[in-house]
Amino acid sequence: MIRVVAANELRRRLRDRSMLITCIVAPLALASILGFAFAGGTSGAPVRIGVAGASPALIAQASRADQLPRQVHLERVATAAALVRAVDGGRLTAGVIVTHAAARLGLSRLLVPILAPGTSHLPGFKVKYPSTSLVGGEWADSVAAAIASRLYAARLVGGPARHPSTTAALDVTTDPLGSAGKGVLNYFAPSIAVIFLFIGGGLGLRSLLLERSGGTLVRMAAAPVRPNRIVAGKLVAILVTGLVSVFVVWGVTATVFGADWGAPAGVVLMSLGSTVAMCGLGVFLTSLAKDEQAALGVALLVGLLLSLLGGNLLPAGALPPLLQKLSLITPNGWALVGFGRLALLHEGTGQIVDPFLVLCAISVVTTGLALTRVRRMVRP
Amino acid sequence: MLECRGLSKRFGDRVAVDGVSLSVGDSECYGLLGPNGAGKTTTISMVCGLLEPDSGTITVGGAPGGSLDAKAAVGYVPQDLALYHDLTARQNLEFFGQLYGLKGPRLAGRIGASLELVGLADRADDKVGTFSGGMKRRANMAAGLLHEPRLLVLDEPTVGVDPQSRNAILETVASLGIAVLYTTHYMEEASKICDRVGIIDGGRIIAEGTGRELVTRHGGADRVRLTMVTDAGDAVAELADAIRRLATVSEVRQEGTTELDLTTDHGAAVLPALVELAAAHGLELSGVEVLAPDLETVFLTLTGKALRD
Repeated sequence: MIRVVAANELRRRLRDRSMLITCIVAPLALASILGFAFAGGTSGAPVRIGVAGASPALIAQASRADQLPRQVHLERVATAAALVRAVDGGRLTAGVIVTHAAARLGLSRLLVPILAPGTSHLPGFKVKYPSTSLVGGEWADSVAAAIASRLYAARLVGGPARHPSTTAALDVTTDPLGSAGKGVLNYFAPSIAVIFLFIGGGLGLRSLLLERSGGTLVRMAAAPVRPNRIVAGKLVAILVTGLVSVFVVWGVTATVFGADWGAPAGVVLMSLGSTVAMCGLGVFLTSLAKDEQAALGVALLVGLLLSLLGGNLLPAGALPPLLQKLSLITPNGWALVGFGRLALLHEGTGQIVDPFLVLCAISVVTTGLALTRVRRMVRP
Repeated sequence: MLECRGLSKRFGDRVAVDGVSLSVGDSECYGLLGPNGAGKTTTISMVCGLLEPDSGTITVGGAPGGSLDAKAAVGYVPQDLALYHDLTARQNLEFFGQLYGLKGPRLAGRIGASLELVGLADRADDKVGTFSGGMKRRANMAAGLLHEPRLLVLDEPTVGVDPQSRNAILETVASLGIAVLYTTHYMEEASKICDRVGIIDGGRIIAEGTGRELVTRHGGADRVRLTMVTDAGDAVAELADAIRRLATVSEVRQEGTTELDLTTDHGAAVLPALVELAAAHGLELSGVEVLAPDLETVFLTLTGKALRD
């Protein structure tokens, strides 16, 4: 009977254009905008970028994070002075000098070169390029951003603040698919999908409120079906809709814009955990609304608040320390920790167990509360 | 088929239903007649398992009220149009039929039969949102009949319906041959289709029986109104005195010099005598109207207020 209720709900949602727009089109549109903004095309001219002050492993990671195109080659240079000479002499197109200060930079300062490559002159990074080689300068900025993103990601997930020049060697290979800014897209694509899960959950509950005012919920309650199964059917439909919206955003950003969300099994796991936690919270909070109009307002307003607090709009690392801690009281904050490990650190599924378990715990609470509230609507 | 004993339901300080007892036989149509707010909907909500009674018992076909067996035996036609307007009539019935365990050819057959019964077979694949108000009501009823219930519960199914659809609904109900619990505040509907009527007011059933029994018991006497062709002056007063002497007439009231209003046990039987007396007094009648008591009169007598109050 759960299947019957869920199938009817999904059929009606497919006909409900507002639901399609909110759960599929809107997140997809935002992800597309990000894709166009951060995953633009590349030039074919050969570029040699030198890096001084960073370990080979960090350079390799940065190269992979940045997904440098085939014509860009990174090269480790022993000292900053040697790098400057090579650029001035024309042997290198441009160069990046990573100083010891980079290891001491706060998260918010590390974020600046990631989000706006080339606009900062932080003490941690120096970019050297001839005034006649703007392309080389852009790629050097991009490499600096990639190195900063490696350091940022390590901090974000609570790892030790590694010194750039002593990072342990990793067996990584570069994948010349995209261009500068992929790390930003990799972060924001799941980030947007996650917050729309909450809004989708809220709108799902709004649909239930509409059924209550429309009388169909009463007819369902009069049928020989246990109230819990009606509630479960409704929640299953909400979860399926949420999961589909995440997978659509994942599929489109990966295939069209080359975004890399990380290990597929991990992404599936994080999507499941995030969907249950976010949809459960969305259903519960929206169930507190008096009617369907208020429910819509709650879904949108709380969604905005959560996205600000959890780091979906502005990464948590860019916030003051207190707000960084607060981000971890939100399910979307934990979802971003997991997705961040997969997409930014390229860690395996085994490394997202803790955020996944936290999401599961949040799910138990939020869906439990949601079930209690929704059951009241159905039971005599 | 349905037995309710001492049902009570309170919402906060307000007593909605107060010790209601009623029974409906296997093929009986029982009308619950009362004004808005009398407790009709609360009573049938408890019968359908949508509300739990504070006290009292319900059995439907031997099963405890509110149990899955009881719900399976009941077809509920709520007052609100409980249908998805963005789905077709067939899709609506498919869903609600599945909730009652129907599937496959049996479901398809029952959908066709139900829509045929309410005269909507040719609109099966149209969205309910495109239906007229009367058609929506009939589709609402089809959803209640879909699983061949043994007890059909209808909550004011003709409110806001055009006369044609109203007649169609009443005829359908009358033709079912199953137990029916029918709530209405339309006296004519209760008189027309119900085998027995319970008059409910203030959450209590204050009278119960067949329409004739209720009228006989609580309706009072017939009223007859005589209207003269022209102003008859003193002759009308003389006629009134003559009528008062008839044994079957209990009261005569003169209204002006052209009308007499009298009360009698049997209006039709006294008419010949009235016409003869008028002729004997040289008066020509332009109108004779017999007003027999009905359920409206019964309700007025019992509660002191009209059904539509």
